[in-house]
Amino acid sequence: MGNTRGCMEQRVLFFYANKVKPFESAYSIKGEERTVMQAITVENLSKTFRVKRKEKGMRGSIKAIIHPHTEEIRAVKGVTFTVEEGEMLAFIGPNGAGKSTTIKMLTGILYPDGGRVEVLGIDPTKKRKQLAYQIGTVFGQKEQLWTHLTPNDNFRFFGAIYDLSECETEERIEELSERFALKDFIDTPVRNLSLGQRIRCEIVASLIHKPKVLFLDEPTIGLDPVVKENVRELIKQMNREEHTTIFLTSHDVGDIEKLCRRIIIVNDGQIVLDDSVERLKRHYQDKRALEEIIVDIYRSEGDG
Amino acid sequence: MGRCRDKIVSMNVGSRRPWRKYAVIYRSVLMENLQYAANVTMGFFSYFIFIYIFIKLWGYMYRTPGELIAGYTKEQMIWYVMMTEMLIFGSDGAFVARTVAGDIRGGNIAYLMNKPYHYTLYILTRYTGEWSVRLPMYAVLAAVMGTVMVGPLSGFRPKAFPAMAVCVVLGLTINAVFKLCISLFSFWIEDATPFQWLYDKMILVVGVLFPVEIFPRALQPLLKMTPIYTVCYGPAKLIVDFSPEKCLEVLAAQMLYLAAGFGLMVLIYRKGVKKLYVNGG
Amino acid sequence: MLTAAENQLRVCFLTIKYNMMREMVNKVTFLTNICFMVLNNASFLVQWFILFRIRDEVGGYTLREVMLLWGLTASSFGLAHILFARVFSLPDLIVKGKLDSFLVQPKNVLVSVITSSTDISAIGDFLYGMVILCICGPGVSGFFLFLLFTVTGAIIFTAFGLLLGSLSFWFLRMDFLENQVVMGMISFGTYPDGIFKGASRFLLYFVIPVGMALWHPVHVIVNFHAGMFLAVLGYACALSAAAVAVFYRGLRRYGSGNLMEARL
Repeated sequence: MGNTRGCMEQRVLFFYANKVKPFESAYSIKGEERTVMQAITVENLSKTFRVKRKEKGMRGSIKAIIHPHTEEIRAVKGVTFTVEEGEMLAFIGPNGAGKSTTIKMLTGILYPDGGRVEVLGIDPTKKRKQLAYQIGTVFGQKEQLWTHLTPNDNFRFFGAIYDLSECETEERIEELSERFALKDFIDTPVRNLSLGQRIRCEIVASLIHKPKVLFLDEPTIGLDPVVKENVRELIKQMNREEHTTIFLTSHDVGDIEKLCRRIIIVNDGQIVLDDSVERLKRHYQDKRALEEIIVDIYRSEGDG
Repeated sequence: MGRCRDKIVSMNVGSRRPWRKYAVIYRSVLMENLQYAANVTMGFFSYFIFIYIFIKLWGYMYRTPGELIAGYTKEQMIWYVMMTEMLIFGSDGAFVARTVAGDIRGGNIAYLMNKPYHYTLYILTRYTGEWSVRLPMYAVLAAVMGTVMVGPLSGFRPKAFPAMAVCVVLGLTINAVFKLCISLFSFWIEDATPFQWLYDKMILVVGVLFPVEIFPRALQPLLKMTPIYTVCYGPAKLIVDFSPEKCLEVLAAQMLYLAAGFGLMVLIYRKGVKKLYVNGG
Repeated sequence: MLTAAENQLRVCFLTIKYNMMREMVNKVTFLTNICFMVLNNASFLVQWFILFRIRDEVGGYTLREVMLLWGLTASSFGLAHILFARVFSLPDLIVKGKLDSFLVQPKNVLVSVITSSTDISAIGDFLYGMVILCICGPGVSGFFLFLLFTVTGAIIFTAFGLLLGSLSFWFLRMDFLENQVVMGMISFGTYPDGIFKGASRFLLYFVIPVGMALWHPVHVIVNFHAGMFLAVLGYACALSAAAVAVFYRGLRRYGSGNLMEARL
């Protein structure tokens, strides 16, 4: 797959959403599309939150009851992109850019206001449960494990949630605990584990049902450099061995550099860039680090 | 140098007036609570329901107009409940329990007890700042509800209002001191809330819902010895049916209880802190 | 379809088991909470002994019937809070965006959410109800009716809580309303319906469902009446259906906590 991209390097490199549709970017080579399965297709997706505004104090409260004043916040404004099966994609942007909103619409948590989403050919708004069997999610800041139980009990619970038989669950736990090196603490209650051990368990819990797409929302947040490296290595391995599609959001440039070949940058609810990490770096040869490049893009977008 | 000396002087002045810091704490809590005064009205709904039920209940129990039950007219009986419930709703006794238990279990106590104030007084001051906003609001609600739904209170003596107010303040403080004592058990046991429930229920069933006179005659002297007499019954009785003798009796009992409660509180606190030092939290 | 239901039940069973295990981590707290709740409820007997000293009946109820009413309120409330405690903190979950982890699971969202925590003191309530049942001994049929009405009562409590809680998808501060109304239900439900007349009676039968959850059942236990019996069952079903519909309608508006950030 990597070499198919090589031939496209002559094409225009940057696609700003307001100028060129990123959908027609480096990935859509005619003729190629038919052979590569799309894991995620997003077309013109948008989401608006209506927020009630209230003035301070008693008077404001009464005013709000009599004449409620609502404000619309357009979190996502017509986002379009596709992700191929087996791809590792970084979906990044500054705080409040609409990353989480997008990832939540892809996983069926939020209901979109407009546009179309398909993950593995399934519409999350219509067949949420059916989709849930095929995807895994890790939200770095929200825990899904029961902290008073051991990882082992937790995995069994998730096995039950995904309708695996006990025998299947057993096998899968064996396999994953081997790979993620959980053996030493698999029978220790989660609340007694270190953050690094916990996040490994979180990831294993979300992999118990062999998801085809894995959504990782800031998976390495708060981890020390060694554990971060370890987690990245494991994610990479998952992608290689089980051909899992990885959809990653992170503020950690290391995650992006180490894991992803392709990067989508969103800002203010729109895609401002959709390209390969490699070419992004080559274009900004004067800058040494990817971090600087990203900061630069955030800033220039913020000004515009 | 000069500035430094000024500082020392002002510190000395401060220590000569040790109550000043509590006044400052009180004032800041009061200001904070005044901002959230609107939130207090949310509890009005529950108060209304409680009182409504009691109006209906006593409306059923009293068959003929002017009938007396345990020496109370129907109006007095309902006003009695309104006043005791006003004391309960108007003072967030749970605030004391919640804060102290939270501080001890969460380990925050280690920072608070090294501050230049006594922890228990600090809590009591904050508690007073809380009810200074709530109680007047509930008093207005109770007065309006009572006048509209029950009828005016014939035994009320406006002239004796200051005496009533003193009894109310003392009653609320005694209640908080006892609740604080229970919460301080959190130094030893993990969760003291069940004991709080029991204390609250004792106050509720024996002091809030009925005046002492309604209980069997044999039990009455016993009930008058419990804190209930000073926390609920005393203040409410004075509001509903004032007499100078009764007032003196209640005040004397309140003084006794306050002194005993304070002593107990300080004692438990000292023991608890010692235990904390030994075991390192 | 059958296996899907089976799997759902398996997950429910595991969830409830793990909830209990979580609460039992500290055994002393667990037991004291239960025991004190039983004592707490029992303390209200004092109130009723006093009232029955004054009159032989209150609102058309004898002491035994009042105890049955109290017992039924406690056991229904207890059962609802043992199994579906989360319904009663639903506004918090909705406003703070804590439904996410349930939404990515391939199971029924509503069931996963409402079974996701338990309230230990509610076990004390439930036990108290059972103790009252044994003391009052309303006969064999009464015994089974009491158990059945405990279930319908719990369903009505839960459905009503769900209905109010789901309004959080539209309005703020529903946590306060839900709490106050559910607590109000219990306050009303521990007094005989005979003391309420006119508009308040109407309100308590048709707006706040105390009548259908508690008063009717006690009448049916004391004096069986087939029409009333069926009305209670029908009401429980209808209210549940309405509550579930409102929840799912609201779920489309779920903001996953993003609203919270915007609100600041």
